[in-house]
Amino acid sequence: MDDRDDWTLTEALHHEQGRGDPFAAAVRSTRMSMIITDPTRPDNPIIFANDAFQRLTGYDRDELIGRNCRFLQGSQTDPETVGRIREAVEAGTDIAVDILNYRKDGTSFWNALYLSPVRDDAGTIQFFFASQLDVTDRIDVQSRMAREKARVETEVTRRVAELRDSLDAQRLLLHEVDHRVKNNMTMIGSILRLQLREAQDSETVDLLRAMMTRIDALATVHRHLYQSEDVTRFDIGSYTVNLASDLTQSRSDCDIRIRADLGRAEVPAGQASAIGLIVNEILSHMIRPTDFGGARVFDISSRVSRGRVELGIRFGRDARDGSAKHPALPRYSPSGVTEQIISRLAAQTRTSVSWTQGPSGSIEVTVIVDTEVS
Amino acid sequence: MNRPKPPLSILVVEDELIISMDIEMMIEDAGHRVMATAASLKAVAALPVETKPDVALVDMQLAQGSTGLEVNDEIRKRWPGTIVVFVTANPKKIPEDFAGAHGVIAKPFSSAGFVAALRYLEEGVCDPPPVSPEPGSFVASPAFGAHWG
Repeated sequence: MDDRDDWTLTEALHHEQGRGDPFAAAVRSTRMSMIITDPTRPDNPIIFANDAFQRLTGYDRDELIGRNCRFLQGSQTDPETVGRIREAVEAGTDIAVDILNYRKDGTSFWNALYLSPVRDDAGTIQFFFASQLDVTDRIDVQSRMAREKARVETEVTRRVAELRDSLDAQRLLLHEVDHRVKNNMTMIGSILRLQLREAQDSETVDLLRAMMTRIDALATVHRHLYQSEDVTRFDIGSYTVNLASDLTQSRSDCDIRIRADLGRAEVPAGQASAIGLIVNEILSHMIRPTDFGGARVFDISSRVSRGRVELGIRFGRDARDGSAKHPALPRYSPSGVTEQIISRLAAQTRTSVSWTQGPSGSIEVTVIVDTEVS
Repeated sequence: MNRPKPPLSILVVEDELIISMDIEMMIEDAGHRVMATAASLKAVAALPVETKPDVALVDMQLAQGSTGLEVNDEIRKRWPGTIVVFVTANPKKIPEDFAGAHGVIAKPFSSAGFVAALRYLEEGVCDPPPVSPEPGSFVASPAFGAHWG
């Protein structure tokens, strides 16, 4: 008798009866499904399948013996997994893999397959041993979680795309409104300038020019805001220097220098226009006299101190100009619209404006903005 | 290099005709000449090629859906030596290299700011480098500095 038929022989034996191999008896009766195949025969057929394997697959022993295991595969079995098993068999290595198999009744189950070669003393492969474990529950949970995760991810992607679209639409709208505001401000400036050219008497010219300067100041505020890194903050130091340089350059009749010592001095964007107009009134008032002669200098400083933004503007004689002959600056006392704009906007923005007359005719204004929320 | 002498001949490309008129008048007040005004790319393309402007002031958003960048390309093709300055409410739309143009004046501009920018331009074009400091109203591109060479 071929010793390969030993397995069939032991089939009839019972350990309890004291006959046969106790290991073979254990394999036959364990709850772990097991088979043995013979790679020396054509197509590596099953030569042994225990009871647990028959219960798992629904096939009887006589339907199993002599067949290759591939009949357990079905339509949803992953060909790549099948390929990996085939490679392991060809290479004579062991493999542990989850594969979708089918029972005799056509239902499927997830099989945690463990397959390993059994070698003789010479190292030649005699058999393949395989154990199977039904892990359908575990795989189902895994795949359900994977499906759920994929669903959530799809949903998140969709909502992010929706948000992005709506943000884009808002940005476009904001951009359009911003563009119109800037264009309208440019237009207002242009209309005032055109009107100014038509003005005949000097009183009208002065009025229109004062108006023009205020519109220009607002335009400068707006430009500073949108050109800064942070549109919610407004740096009054750099704005004041910009405005002073605009104002002095428009005065070809006098020589005014600007010196700046600027620390970071930001106020909230909501107060920018009001404070911008205050600064414009101060600067315009300072350089208004036309006949002060000699070189002059603006000293502009800004800083933050104890939660308050401080802006210093000093207008005086330029030390470079050695001649002492030019007259001292007139006394300053803003009145009329200038005074109203300064006092009202200062009250509105919790800003204090104080004027100090220096000995040599210089004038110094300190603007303090209380930016702390009370 | 053959540098232009003042008064400069300036092309104004702007689709808001009130603003265009205002810019023309400020140019003339500053002692320069307005060579022509145009509101669109088409209008620029229709100008006679023989008359070359020294400077072109170009708005970004123009009539008939055309843009300042297109006009810039057209000008650089027709008149390679012309200094192009964008005058726009959207300075952020200008590419980092200014597409080869020479600077930008941001809208809304103040009278003094515009005049100062014109003066700086005149110095940079006719007798570079400019003696005035770069005014806050004007941002020069790398190409403008290179032009002083």
